[in-house]
Amino acid sequence: MFIVGFLARRLAQGAVIVFLVSFLIFTLLRVIPGDPVRLMAGGMAPDELIEQIAADMGLRDPIPVQFARYMGGVMRGDLGQSFVRPASGAAVGGAQFDDATRAERARVLSLIAETAPMTVQLALLSMVFALLIATPIGVAGGLYPGRWPDKLALYLGSLFVSLPNFWLGIVLVLLLSVNLRLLPAIGYQGFAWTILPAIVLAIEIAPFLIRTLTVSVAQIMRENFIAAATVRGLGRGRIVVAHALKNAAVPLLNLLGVQFSMLLGGVLVIEFIFDYPGLGLLTINAVLQRDFPLIQGIAIVTSAAFVLINIAVDLAATAIDPRLDY
Amino acid sequence: MAILDADIPAAADDGARRSIARRIAAGAWASTEFKVGLFVFTALLLAALIYPEVSSLDPTRMNVRGRNTPPVFVGEGWSWAHPLGTDQLGRDMLLRSLVGLRYSLLIGVSTVILMLFVGSIVGLFAGYRGGLTDTVLMRITDAQLSIPMIILAIAILGVSRPTIPAIILVLGLSGWPVYARVMRSVVMAERKKEYVRGARVLGASDGRIMFRLILPLALPPIAFVAVLDVARMMIFESVLGFLGLGVQPPTPTFGNIIADGRKFLINAWWIATLPGVFLFVTLGSLNLMGAALERSRNRVYGGLS
Repeated sequence: MFIVGFLARRLAQGAVIVFLVSFLIFTLLRVIPGDPVRLMAGGMAPDELIEQIAADMGLRDPIPVQFARYMGGVMRGDLGQSFVRPASGAAVGGAQFDDATRAERARVLSLIAETAPMTVQLALLSMVFALLIATPIGVAGGLYPGRWPDKLALYLGSLFVSLPNFWLGIVLVLLLSVNLRLLPAIGYQGFAWTILPAIVLAIEIAPFLIRTLTVSVAQIMRENFIAAATVRGLGRGRIVVAHALKNAAVPLLNLLGVQFSMLLGGVLVIEFIFDYPGLGLLTINAVLQRDFPLIQGIAIVTSAAFVLINIAVDLAATAIDPRLDY
Repeated sequence: MAILDADIPAAADDGARRSIARRIAAGAWASTEFKVGLFVFTALLLAALIYPEVSSLDPTRMNVRGRNTPPVFVGEGWSWAHPLGTDQLGRDMLLRSLVGLRYSLLIGVSTVILMLFVGSIVGLFAGYRGGLTDTVLMRITDAQLSIPMIILAIAILGVSRPTIPAIILVLGLSGWPVYARVMRSVVMAERKKEYVRGARVLGASDGRIMFRLILPLALPPIAFVAVLDVARMMIFESVLGFLGLGVQPPTPTFGNIIADGRKFLINAWWIATLPGVFLFVTLGSLNLMGAALERSRNRVYGGLS
């Protein structure tokens, strides 16, 4: 019964957040200068034609009217059609405008559905790498506060967080792909193409995991139940793994929820550098082409993902530590 | 802090009675990493401020004959005139990196000040007023927190013209929610304390309590750790430059130098990589200082590291 109430409350709050996000993005896109119709129709199109197309597409209606129409579509599961992308093949620039092809423009929902799994794959692999890097360093730092493992965690954390992701990506491509020919880098033709971007992303996330682990492990090791476990005759390894790590997992999970947007930001840049066909690359192209429906669709999907991940994080945290109450 | 300091004679130097801000600063100063960070950062700052002024070179003047000169001790044809080499148009890389560092620091610092300002005000009002104000402000904060900042930034800068004030505004306005949350939780704890009740009994207005009593106590711990965010914002600025949405060429910034240099990665690897080393060292020094300050703050508040 608890779980039903919890889910209902959080989903309702989440719906409000997603609504606010879509309203914010929708308004911002229309308030700031930059006319998508000009981009679609091309620089040579006469002004009357531009006005006519814009009016046909409903882009000259008042913003609340446009928003209501858009949200009506979203409620029915229709995120609209891309302004510029045809249903098949690559995006076309606005060299000339041909109204006959309007019907064949790609649906926003299917564009997102095609690219999202690629991004999820990249994000999950990088989380695995990040945990592999951060767990030994962070736990060691937390077990010996003030001693060299702690210093090492501090210095490595500062080092990793100071590496600009796009620069690291370029340097690793130069070293590992061009010079040593160890890993493929640009584009996507198989799972191997995910590894290098995932490493770069992992190094971007790792410092936050290291810091959280160091602090929480150090805190937990001072608790009474750790001292009591020694008295009960448990070995050190068992205490660290079964008691300290299990409790340190909760702040780590919370971090995942909070830093989700940072992860997405990293994905965006890294997909752009590696030309990795995921949601991030789609977003950047959508922005550069002023593809309003696509930007809105992506904003709605990502904020919904943010809400759902945070709910999942809280549920998982309660499962690990039943004392927590949300 | 001024109110507290005035009452305490300077001689009272025992830990508990010094102001929190001073204890945090002193604790950080005691650590090696803070001194290393400060030293490196000061050196870079001075270089960025002085070298472009005294150098006879111009960061945007091209010299096609001297293009793609490698940095010192690397390859053939290097010279002391261009310690970091030249780019594809013969422009001096050291000078361009230092000018880039100026813009990067300018944008990073102003952005964090803006974030801190907006976040503190929102958090202060939400935490102090509570009730409906709190609910409304915090829902807005949550909504903004759930849009990835970089998507918001490129969405706005992609469709409008990226000038320096626009970049500062966009980054600052998309980064404040975290500060608002921290500020709110601190203020909510402070609000219930004795001295606030006392001030209210004495007839202090809400504004006076918020800005003269609570803010000076709550702000320094947050502001110190904001050093870490200066580094983060400098990365964001260079990412924007890299995507072509930052400060526009010919003004050199780390982002657009690296984006340009990427095309010549095979023939002239230093164009894309050396400015990154520069940026990395700067960020490293800032992060070391920030990490030392953060640890010191945690020690002051938690009693232990």
